[in-house]
Amino acid sequence: MDLIMQFIINSLIAGATYTLVTLGFNLVYGATKFVNMFHGVLAAVGGYTVFFFTQTIGIDLWVSIIVGIIGAGLVGFLADRFIFSTLRIKKASNLVMFIASLGAFIVLQAVLAMVFTSQFQSIVHSVDSPRVYEIGSAAITHIQLLIIITALFSSFGLVLLLRFTMFGKAVKAISDDEEVAKIIGIDTNKIIGYVFFIGSAIAGIAGILIGFDTGIQPTMGLAILLEGATASIIGGIGNLYGGIAGSFLLGFVENFGIWKIPSEWKGAITFSVLIIFLIFRPQGIFKK
Amino acid sequence: MEKQSKTWLWVIGILVVVGVVYLVMTLNSSTPATNESASKGENGPIKIGVIAPLTGDAAAYGEPLQKVIALAVEEINNAGGLGGRMFQFTYEDGKCNGKDGANAMQKLVNIDKVKVVIGGFCSSESLAAVPIATANKVVLFSGGSSSPDLTNVSSYFLRDYPSDAAQGKVLAEIAYGDKKWRKVVFIQEQLDYPLGIFKAFSSNFERLGGQTSKEEFTEGTTDFRSQLTKLRGLKPDALFIDTQTPAAAERIFKQLTELKWKVPLLVSDAVTGDPAVVEKNATILEGALAAEFGTDPNNATFKHLLEAYKQKHNVDVPYQSYAQTMYDAVYIVRDGIKAVGYDGEKLALWSRTIKDWKGASGLVTIGSDGDRVSGHIGKVIKKGKVEVYGM
Repeated sequence: MDLIMQFIINSLIAGATYTLVTLGFNLVYGATKFVNMFHGVLAAVGGYTVFFFTQTIGIDLWVSIIVGIIGAGLVGFLADRFIFSTLRIKKASNLVMFIASLGAFIVLQAVLAMVFTSQFQSIVHSVDSPRVYEIGSAAITHIQLLIIITALFSSFGLVLLLRFTMFGKAVKAISDDEEVAKIIGIDTNKIIGYVFFIGSAIAGIAGILIGFDTGIQPTMGLAILLEGATASIIGGIGNLYGGIAGSFLLGFVENFGIWKIPSEWKGAITFSVLIIFLIFRPQGIFKK
Repeated sequence: MEKQSKTWLWVIGILVVVGVVYLVMTLNSSTPATNESASKGENGPIKIGVIAPLTGDAAAYGEPLQKVIALAVEEINNAGGLGGRMFQFTYEDGKCNGKDGANAMQKLVNIDKVKVVIGGFCSSESLAAVPIATANKVVLFSGGSSSPDLTNVSSYFLRDYPSDAAQGKVLAEIAYGDKKWRKVVFIQEQLDYPLGIFKAFSSNFERLGGQTSKEEFTEGTTDFRSQLTKLRGLKPDALFIDTQTPAAAERIFKQLTELKWKVPLLVSDAVTGDPAVVEKNATILEGALAAEFGTDPNNATFKHLLEAYKQKHNVDVPYQSYAQTMYDAVYIVRDGIKAVGYDGEKLALWSRTIKDWKGASGLVTIGSDGDRVSGHIGKVIKKGKVEVYGM
């Protein structure tokens, strides 16, 4: 019983982390219809910005966090302005967009490694005194609780934004058919720019929280992106609710899976679930 | 007409490029011939190869160790070399992996025509270089590779850094005999070095009557919560944190603290080799066991190495347990060539007769399996410092 409670908590933390990645990933996919690999490195950008401002310059933590979120958003926005929108204008195929995003991902990851070294870094200094809450014999830290709460609030906020604002309606219109959206007078390029900013800022939040929880490394983006993209596909790619459901499903399957089988199979479990979904339910849990 | 002249310009351009490339290649390939004659000549330098990681993450080890080797070579040459002949060392980058280790070995054997190579440093470099060394009858002498897979691997391979088997054995004996632990669980990174330690520990611990089990994780893993939760459920007497690098171990320390799991710990020398990490994690590591191939601060040669290095480079020697074996390797090679000449076959035979050779790392004896006899000793962490166990 003690173990089950801890496994449930571990699954919730993993699910919430994946949710933060899928939210932005699905938002961008919904509007642009290409698998944006660049999304992964934005998490690292968020984490490293906070690391740089708190530890190197010594600015207040909360200010650094806000700078980190906006910084990740801006990098995503600029990538769209200079790379993806140019390719869209040239009517580049989704495959070209995918390769371009992968290229941009590798370049930025290399820049991070050059500036901050490839070493694993910790945003928080002390490892001895994390604030820990106990539920029975299970434990959850303050930051892990914050990951779960942030994931819930971000999901809720994004759903409200897309449902009840003109911006949300414009995104939906672009997602249904970009050409038609243009004809009815929507400035699609501008809206997609905003979508990149919001999606990337959420990726930044994910990176910052992961940085506080486990630490940061320039290469952290790929692992985060793979888990996030898998959760998106399981849930139904481009569908926000699907992404959330997929994330928690993946979190639970991974963590409960290794309860009974050796943990070196964790990666295999993740991708087996993905393959099962691709074969039997390619549209995911929720169809877009 | 204009088009035709353009085509001609292209053809001439290509011919010039091909010509230049050909010239450069011929010049390069003529270099080894001079080297060969230099090595074989009576008065030319004695050529020795070195394979170590000079770029990438593991360059953190390779670069200072290259300086240690250079220091030993300089001392030997300043003292007149060997019968008036100077030693000349050629360094090749093994990048801490098998592919580049093998390439480096091929180059040293086929182009530089050396008969002795000091290296590889990483076990993966050595494992890949051994077959090439054996086929070409060249002695490969490692001062840093510790994988148990290198034991008795070839009569042309030897090492003065002890095998990890010793590390696992020493810890298993303390855990079972002194601590009276009967169940030890591992969280192990899926790489050669941590796997070697697990194999050595579990075989010795189980032979004594203990029980082990493990959870593995891939390189770069950051979330260990469910692995640790599962291991906790087994109610072990102790947990062995078996990682390749201190960084991975630190992530586990943090999550262990967060899960509020208090359990006696064992760590590998990847952790104890980094004093900063031990000090930073002093609370969780209090009482943790380790086994290290230590240094002896009272050893005169070791003291000389520390002073000479500091004087030359103005910093302390890092990774001292490796520095001492690297330094000794150069002098052992000199003594070998002095005894039997610059001949791979004879040197290989001679290497198995090394007994109580006195150096910076203490008395070196090489067993018939090519391993250094004796090595690791039990250590315990107290107040952020690594101390000899049982003192």
